Order: sequence, then structure tokens, then C-alpha cells
Amino acid sequence: MNKRMNAMEKQPTRRGFLDWLIGLCSVVTGAALTVPGLLYLWPAARGGASEDVEVPNASGLAPGQSAILQVRGKAVIVVREQTGFTAISAVCTHLGCLVKWDGSRKEFLCPCHAAVFDKNGAVVSGPAPAPLPTYRVKEVDGKVYVSVA
Amino acid sequence: MGLSKHIRSFVDARFDTETAEHFINKQVHKRLPPHTGWLHVFGSLSLLLYLSQTITGILLLIYYRPTPEAAHKSIQYITAEVNFGWLYRQVHAWGATLMILAVVLHMTRTYFFGAYKKPRELTWVTGVIIFIVTITFGFTGYLLPWNQIAFWATTVGTESANQIPVIGEWLRYFLRGGDAVTGETLSRFFVVHVIILPWILTGLIAVHLFLMRATNLATLEKVGEEKPLQPDQGIPFFPVHVAKEGVVAVLLLAGLVTLSVVAPWEIGEPANPLATPAHIKPEWYFLPSYQLLKYFEGPHGAFIGILACSLPFALLLFWPFMDRGKHRHPKKRPVAVGVGLVAVLAALFLGVLGHLSETDRTVFGRTYHFDLLGRPHQVTPSSDLSQRKHAE
Ligand code: HEM
Ligand code: FES
Repeated sequence: MNKRMNAMEKQPTRRGFLDWLIGLCSVVTGAALTVPGLLYLWPAARGGASEDVEVPNASGLAPGQSAILQVRGKAVIVVREQTGFTAISAVCTHLGCLVKWDGSRKEFLCPCHAAVFDKNGAVVSGPAPAPLPTYRVKEVDGKVYVSVA
Repeated sequence: MGLSKHIRSFVDARFDTETAEHFINKQVHKRLPPHTGWLHVFGSLSLLLYLSQTITGILLLIYYRPTPEAAHKSIQYITAEVNFGWLYRQVHAWGATLMILAVVLHMTRTYFFGAYKKPRELTWVTGVIIFIVTITFGFTGYLLPWNQIAFWATTVGTESANQIPVIGEWLRYFLRGGDAVTGETLSRFFVVHVIILPWILTGLIAVHLFLMRATNLATLEKVGEEKPLQPDQGIPFFPVHVAKEGVVAVLLLAGLVTLSVVAPWEIGEPANPLATPAHIKPEWYFLPSYQLLKYFEGPHGAFIGILACSLPFALLLFWPFMDRGKHRHPKKRPVAVGVGLVAVLAALFLGVLGHLSETDRTVFGRTYHFDLLGRPHQVTPSSDLSQRKHAE
């Protein structure tokens, strides 16, 4: 083995070249088989362009009350305020539990590690590293729609 | 028995059975080091649990359905309708916990007896990988019943991947098969749990056992001074050690069935992606990491926390190459033994804190509230009331 390698280093041989070619072909074939397999594992995106989702029974909410719903797979809290509606992501930016709206304190509380956010989603206390993102709300003919980008 | 003789001569006429027989005899009549005793049974205990998990897992697969709509119902069906379904589900769930325990005890034993040192470093390394695979089995299997606690524990568990810089978001998306935990996540976890991990574990165990046999069990002699055991030295594998393993196997079966009857695992409420239950906690083997993560706050806190949780695993993996001391006997390795003891106590301490955190406990008639970080605060009846009022 060693002797042959030494000989190969000295001068290219037909045998050495063939070994090299077989190695190259194996790597290329291996890559050609692996890459589609890896891409297959990548989750395919779901859903098309952003669309408005109606909040069911929004008119039934009294000021200070909230409802939770799923908009294109994302949990969203809609809060009825004196002046109108706001929509905010319910997914705690710490580790993904769903926050709850506390109407009397006007804050969002996370049940998992006690993060607290104010009514605009800014962090008040606790371990959350970032504010809760807010979403666009529309009122049309007494119906309330949320859209998440 | 005429038949067995016929079979014997049929095989003899076609294969070289003598070599095979010689090999098997050599394995069976191998001598084990003189200190081999009851502490050496945890390896075979882990192996038995692997077999038990495989058999009960395959049985569960017959009735289990891996979709969000059907998973929870199928577990209820297994438990309530299928003959002995409750037993196989319980033995699988308890077996998971005991398997992790057995692997941990086995690792602890080999650590304190210095069995990971040259020439057995790779046996140790494959063992650590087996440990990680076993934990991953637990993590992926936990989601399969698709109940509230599992759904949210998985949400939090996969979310922590997000804290890793650069690839974090990508990794979380990949693990979940999307933005949130959904049926895509269930499919992924299911395939990993019942196909990928079983084959990986089978291969790893085969290599581990081969290496164990190829280098023999470690004695307590110094590295490089081990002498091969003569046929009249040490302890015969058969029948002495095999008898111990038999006792352990019977106790294990008795224990599994007893636990299944006395302390059955709940099925719990079906998963609700729109309501996080209060106080979700992971399984006991994740409690030390769960608790440790809480102490890291601030912008990069979570990532440093993840590093802190991965560090013990990295240390385990490379330990044989870091501890180059020649001694194996625990009495001659004060530093390594000290490090091991501190690690075990720290894990236990963090686990207990994690278990107690965010609960109320009554000790000797006094009630304590354990906060997020596990610190106790005495609750007097009046402060209890005022606190309640505050929270409302
Ligand atoms: C080797 C082959 C295995 C197969 C085919 C298998 C299959 C399954 C199936 C079908 C389930 C869903 C039924 C149920 O939840 O009760 C399940 C659940 C589970 N598995 Fe496995 N499993 C295997 C090994 C393991 C191992 C080695 C562990 C852990 C060390 C493990 C831990 C779990 C856990 C914790 C659950 C949830 C139990 C429950 O709450 O009922 N499994 N497994
Ligand atoms: S997930 Fe909300 S505080 Fe941790």
C-alpha cells in the first residue's frame, strides 16, 4: 500500500488515475443522491398570500375582553378596547407559550415563565427577549378582520 | 430426540459449525474481573429495556395513528378497548423512564470505576451517544399521545432551538416542519421515534457490545498494566454473572408490571393549540436542563443557557481524552471522583429545584411557595390571601 502510494507520488500511473476517477464519481453520485433527500426534508411552505381572517363573534366582546384565534397557523389575540380592536401575536417571545390578556391590569401574562407584556406588546418584566408583534386589524360593516404578514 | 440430531447433522454437513461453537463457548465462558458484581448489571438492564421498548413499541404501532385528529383517540382506544392494550402502553411509558435511568446508572458505574480509560475510550463514546439517542427517544415519544402537556412541552422544547444564533430559526422550522407545532411535527417525531432512532440505536448497541467484548471488561489495574484473566481467575460470566442478570430481568419485569398497575401514566387532555396549560414541565430527565435555562436572562441569556446545558454532554463525550490519569481505582482518582460527585449532585439539585418550582408544598405543617427559580417562600394564611387577591 505504502509502496504503491510512494510510486504514485513520483509519477502518475494509469492505475492511480483510475482510482482517483472512481473516487470522484462516487462523491458526485453520493451528493446527487443526498441533496434531493435533504431538500425533501425541508418543510414545504403552506398557504398563499396574506389574507384577512374574520374574528368570529367580535361584536360579542365587551371593552377590555379578548378572544384568541388562529390566523394562518399563528395564534393571535384580539382585544376589544374602548376605541376599537387591536390584534397581537399570542406566542410568547420567550419560549413559545401562549400569553393571556389580563383585562384589569391591561397586560398580557405568560403562564410558563411569568413574562409580562403591556397592551402594545412591549416587555414589562420577565424573561421575554423581545416584544410581541402586533398585526393589522380592519373593521368593515361591523365585522372585524385580522391579517398576519 | 431424533429431530434435533437430524437438524444438527444437516447443518454440520454444510457449515463449519465447530468455529461458531468455539466462538460462542469462548464468549460464554469468558472470565470477568474479580470486582464484577451487582453494580455491573446496569448495562444488561439497559439492553433488556431496549428489547422491551422495541417489542411493546411494535405492538403499540398496530393501533396507534400519528395524526392530530386520531392520535389521542387511538391511545384511548389502546387503553380502553384493545386486550391488554393498557399494559403494553404502560410498560412502554414506564420502560422509557426506566431505560433512561438504567443508562444513567450504567454510565455512572463505568465513570467511577475508570472503565472509560484506554483502550476503552470508544466504548465510552458510543455509550454517551446511546445516552443522547435514548433521551431523544423520550423527547419524540412524549409527543405521540398528542395531549396538552406533551404538545406544550414540545412547543417550548423546540422553541429553545430558536435561541441558537444564525441557524436557530431555521432549525426550529425544520424540527417542527413549519412555524408551529402541528400535524407536520407529529409526523416528523413519529418517523424519528419509530424508524430512525430504533435503527440508529440498534447499530450503536451492536458496536458498543462488540467493543465491550473485544477489550473485555476493565479491571481496577492501572492503564497499560492490565493482565489478561486466566481461566481460573476472576468471575465466570456463565453461570455467576448470568445468574445475576437473570435476577435483574425478573425484577425488571415485576417492577414494570407493578408500576403499570400502581402508578399508571395518564393520557391527559387532547392537545389544544389555543390554550397553554399552567405549569408545564418536562419529564424528569429534562428537569435539570429546564431549571438551568431559567437562570440565564438578557439578550443572549437563552443562548448561553443552551450552551450551559450542552456543555455536560460535550464533556461526557470527550472525557476519556481529557482525563489522562493512569489509575482506575476510585480511591486513587480523587479529582475525577470529586468532579463526578459534584456533577451528579448538581444534576439532582437542579432537578429537584425544577420539580419544586412554581408549586406549593406543605412541610411540617408549614406551607411554602417555591418560585420560578425554586426558592421557597413561607406562605402564612394571611399573606396567602393577600397574594391571591393581588393575582386576581
Ligand atoms: C425501539 C422501538 C420503539 C418503537 C417502535 C416505539 C413506538 C412508540 C409508539 C407507537 C408510541 C405511541 C404510543 C404511546 O404513546 O403509548 C410510543 C410512545 C412513547 N415512546 Fe416509544 N418506541 C420505541 C422505543 C422507545 C424508547 C427506547 C423510548 C425511551 C427511552 C421510548 C419512549 C416513548 C415515550 C416516552 C412514549 C410516550 C408514552 C405515553 O405517554 O404513552 N420509546 N413509542
Ligand atoms: S414562554 Fe412565556 S415566559 Fe417563557
